Amino acid sequence: MSTTSTHLSAKADAPPLTILVVEDEVLIRFVIADYLRECGYRVHEAVNAEEAIAILESPEVAVDIVFSDVEMPGSMDGFALARWVRAHKSGIQVILTSGVERSADIAATLCEAGPLLKKPYPSQDVVDRIRQLAAKAR
Amino acid sequence: MSAASVTVFPRRTPPTILVVEHDARLRCLVSDELRFKGYKVLEAGSAGEALTVLGAVGIDLLFLDLDLPGEGGGLEVARQARSSASPIRVILSSRTRTGEEVPDPFLLKPYHIPEVVDAIARSLNWPELPEA
Repeated sequence: MSTTSTHLSAKADAPPLTILVVEDEVLIRFVIADYLRECGYRVHEAVNAEEAIAILESPEVAVDIVFSDVEMPGSMDGFALARWVRAHKSGIQVILTSGVERSADIAATLCEAGPLLKKPYPSQDVVDRIRQLAAKAR
Repeated sequence: MSAASVTVFPRRTPPTILVVEHDARLRCLVSDELRFKGYKVLEAGSAGEALTVLGAVGIDLLFLDLDLPGEGGGLEVARQARSSASPIRVILSSRTRTGEEVPDPFLLKPYHIPEVVDAIARSLNWPELPEA
């Protein structure tokens, strides 16, 4: 199984999109991951960018979209993770979110789905971004 | 009433499992398989995250790596789970310890994921979903 999925289309018989949620606040991660699963997506979870890369490099796991917080502990923040994804997994789209004011220009160069999603975000906004990406890929 | 006349209805709400494992890839694979089997699964990557979840969310079973980094590690999480007001079943795993040290069901790493699924199904008496 390839780690880079090419099936972002929303065909009725297509397998569900797989989302990797990267968030260091466990209860926030739990809530959004649970919501996305309720919406029919397959969801994996990572605590930080290093974990996200370990999952993205795993041959057993295929990810379509990374939804990542910008502010995370460790050597890489969400921007660095987005750059890594662009360099190493170009078929995977990235949606970034942040609780503090950051340059929307930086996010716009890294994300296909528009500017940063500002925290706190309604869970439905994340689904809307995912659907935008899926529609663009159609 | 004789035992033969008692009808046991299947539980409607799937059990909730907290998977605590600092190896992200292994946690991802175990959690994904358990969700496929119908369980509701929460994930924690550290003892701190596990304690946060235990304090906020009711769970039925804790599948816990004892080799978590940090002070207290997995043993502290297991201790907290055992002292919980509501009963939580515990299954432990470790690469460095042996099951003789702990009172709970134990899986020595590296384990096969079906072993985890079987151990959890036995502990919770939760039937697996029929194969599609």
